[in-house]
Amino acid sequence: MLRESMQSEGKQVALGGVTKGFAQGIDVAHAAELVEFTEAVVARDAARTAAARAALLPLLGTAGLVDAAATVAAFHGFVRVADAIGIPHFASPAGDELADLRAEVGIDAFHRMQDTPALARPLADGNHR
Amino acid sequence: MSATAFAGTDLPIRADLAESHERAWQAIAAPGTWLDGQRRIAVAAEIRHAFDCAHCARIKAALSPNAVAGAHDSRGELTFAEVELIHRTVNDPGRLSDAWAQSLLAEGMSEGEYVEIAGIIAMVMMADTCTRALGLPNRALPAALPGEPTRYRPPGARKEAAWLPIVEPADAVAADGPMYPSPKAGYIYRALSSVPQTLRDYWALANCHYLPGPMIYRFDQKSIRAISRPQTEIIASRVSALHQCLY
Repeated sequence: MLRESMQSEGKQVALGGVTKGFAQGIDVAHAAELVEFTEAVVARDAARTAAARAALLPLLGTAGLVDAAATVAAFHGFVRVADAIGIPHFASPAGDELADLRAEVGIDAFHRMQDTPALARPLADGNHR
Repeated sequence: MSATAFAGTDLPIRADLAESHERAWQAIAAPGTWLDGQRRIAVAAEIRHAFDCAHCARIKAALSPNAVAGAHDSRGELTFAEVELIHRTVNDPGRLSDAWAQSLLAEGMSEGEYVEIAGIIAMVMMADTCTRALGLPNRALPAALPGEPTRYRPPGARKEAAWLPIVEPADAVAADGPMYPSPKAGYIYRALSSVPQTLRDYWALANCHYLPGPMIYRFDQKSIRAISRPQTEIIASRVSALHQCLY
């Protein structure tokens, strides 16, 4: 999704930043502040979250801050649905095979890839995500 | 705790977002498909309680999540399997496994109960994370509503693609009620489909936090949120990676 959204704006992204935190920089406005906010919320660190929120507010405005929080929150739900039910992961939203993408992002080292690699194999019906 | 989500804030909370929270809490308090309202509220309370579980912290720190002896710090209202499902999914979701899921079912938890509880976990995590990220208190848990679970099992539910049964779009029947925005709905959408009401409750909340289904693959359109689509996806991908989630 990140790759597709960047491409829609004529930009490229080094997907390794997904797992490394985009320390190399990414051509998206306020990316560093968004990543810090995200990491603070995931870490459940109230003081760090407050500081990150204060840094984001003048950059995004109040409505932007609310939508940033809503997006962080959404994926706290999505990851738990995906991981508790054990849904398969074998293609990108565009239907591309994920092997190369997984390697580029660096998620082949994730526990679930080691534990149940069969979940990353394609199924017959051609559907995805 | 506040009486309603976002109470007292000066932030311009979207009306659909605020309404989605209240609708979600009322849904959690109501009788479900396999759990009554009282048990569903007990699940919600255990989810919040799990954040401070010392056993979960030891599991999270361990190289192997299954090698840690001990017991969860629970509120004592739910079964061992229910507590294990809640605590592990809340605190270490990226290291769950098929074998672990089947071990919970072997304890006597039904597949329907498992999926319904997983849906409640996802909803409570989403709602509470949203308010916490904005520096707001948790909404107080609502009072449980009376009534009996429906105990509806979709006839098309079958275990094939995932650890738990799923209703593939082609196998959905009218009695299931509306589930899929498209026959091509992805597995993240199908995940909760063996408990259709849980699927509907979950997506009513999720669509207001991320993007409504029809918008997700429309990269050519202006973002309907107050942040750009790449900004949205940076957040999304980073949350998933930090949870070691493949989705």
